[in-house]
Amino acid sequence: MDYEPEVKKRFLSPNRVKSFEEGIVGVVTGESSDRTLNVWVRFQVQAINGLIRAIRFNVYGCPYTVAAVDWAAEWLEGRETGALLDLGMIDRRKELGVPVDRLGKLLLIEDAAAACQKKLERLTTQDGN
Amino acid sequence: MEAKKIYLDYAATTPVDPEVVEAMIQCLGPDGDYANSSSSHFFGKSAKVRIDTARGQIAARIGAEVDSICFTSGATESDNMALIGTMNANQHRGRHLITSTLEHKAVLDTANALKDQGFEVTFVDHDEHGVISTQQLATAIRNDTVLVSIMHVNNETGVLQDLAVLGELCRERGVLFHVDAAQSVGKVPLNVADFSVDLVSLTAHKAYGPMGIGALYIRKGMKIAPMTYGGEQEWGYRSGTLATHQIAGFGKAFALADPDQEGPLLAARRDQLWAGLKVIEGVSLNGHATKRSPHILNVTFAGVEGESLRTSLADVAISAGSACNSDVPDPSHVLRGMGLSDALASSSLRFSVGRFTTETDIDYVLSRVREEVLRLRELASGAPDWTVS
Repeated sequence: MDYEPEVKKRFLSPNRVKSFEEGIVGVVTGESSDRTLNVWVRFQVQAINGLIRAIRFNVYGCPYTVAAVDWAAEWLEGRETGALLDLGMIDRRKELGVPVDRLGKLLLIEDAAAACQKKLERLTTQDGN
Repeated sequence: MEAKKIYLDYAATTPVDPEVVEAMIQCLGPDGDYANSSSSHFFGKSAKVRIDTARGQIAARIGAEVDSICFTSGATESDNMALIGTMNANQHRGRHLITSTLEHKAVLDTANALKDQGFEVTFVDHDEHGVISTQQLATAIRNDTVLVSIMHVNNETGVLQDLAVLGELCRERGVLFHVDAAQSVGKVPLNVADFSVDLVSLTAHKAYGPMGIGALYIRKGMKIAPMTYGGEQEWGYRSGTLATHQIAGFGKAFALADPDQEGPLLAARRDQLWAGLKVIEGVSLNGHATKRSPHILNVTFAGVEGESLRTSLADVAISAGSACNSDVPDPSHVLRGMGLSDALASSSLRFSVGRFTTETDIDYVLSRVREEVLRLRELASGAPDWTVS
């Protein structure tokens, strides 16, 4: 399989891998997986005052999936937490050089990010109470 | 360690041996034996001598009579000829074909094509190692069974079928027996006299010969229907001008392919590789520990996505399964058929060693595999259980 240089680079040297240390404030975890697509994605998001301060991820998947997760983590860091619902992986597909038959895998990245957003909302609600 | 490129995909194809290249060159160019071997003039006869010599070399390698070797374009065509030609020529005997689910696509797709044409096909089962059950085959054979087709060495796992036992069963039951031996020559002994076999598919390019040339051994006395017409070459079975240079190369390759000499050397390289891989956590062997060819090693790396592992090992030429299917992301039908889940089948690699593989090559591959397996497992840390089961 021939990959775009950007995909190769992100796949071979992803940033923000691994997990936050235990006890770090403001961290939520969200994941999604699909056995039939051979993909699992987990984001850990540290959000403070509505801003995504840092992201970490782990992923099981093909090079396209790894590269896309790496891109997503980079894009999200520094944005407002609402951006977790704005990844827009369908639109990003061409930009990332991902073949259309792998789109299902990219949508799982959105699901993992959305799972983080849900947990952050719950946290905010609890804090509000 | 300095970056290298290592070829461990000898089951896909092999480099042409320098002696084979030389034999081919002698059939090319204005000073070579370039003429059409069907021509009756001096030049044609000279080319025919090359063809006859090669035919003899190939026949000798598999213990066959010279005029039972029919040249084709390769094992795929040979498989097609064997199945389609035999079933079509023997419809008076029946319309039932038996093969296994673990065969190469060249046999499976041909069998399915025959099914579409109204023939009946039974796919026999096997054990978890991929060894065909003689009992199952015996049960599958019916009064209207014409042909059984089983490969000698599985191209993905290297598992060896017991041709002597299977062939004897077919002979007892009056059923014709075809063997795809594309992976056999030069690695394991193959003598048609020992196996009660009627048809054998052979290819040059997996035995250090050129691509584009193979043969079908057709036991003397049996008939198959031709698939190619026009010229009556190869006793009318397969018309078309014979490619002298390719055939000369084919013959030379088979003359050099001595399994008694080469087999142990291949086994040593394969075992060196396995010794280094099996100590990695979550690694398992696919196939049989002893009933196998010396050149193929199929290994599952649990918890490591297969396409990612292959991409990470871009400096090592390996395969996810059959080279014919390498670009297709579907898990190997052979491994799935042996009971592996989609995830584990996708996490498997086929390594295949060859004549030019060195100890240093294996050491390098081991260090690279360890490095990348560790990296990808860290990347996937916390992944669900289905990725490892």
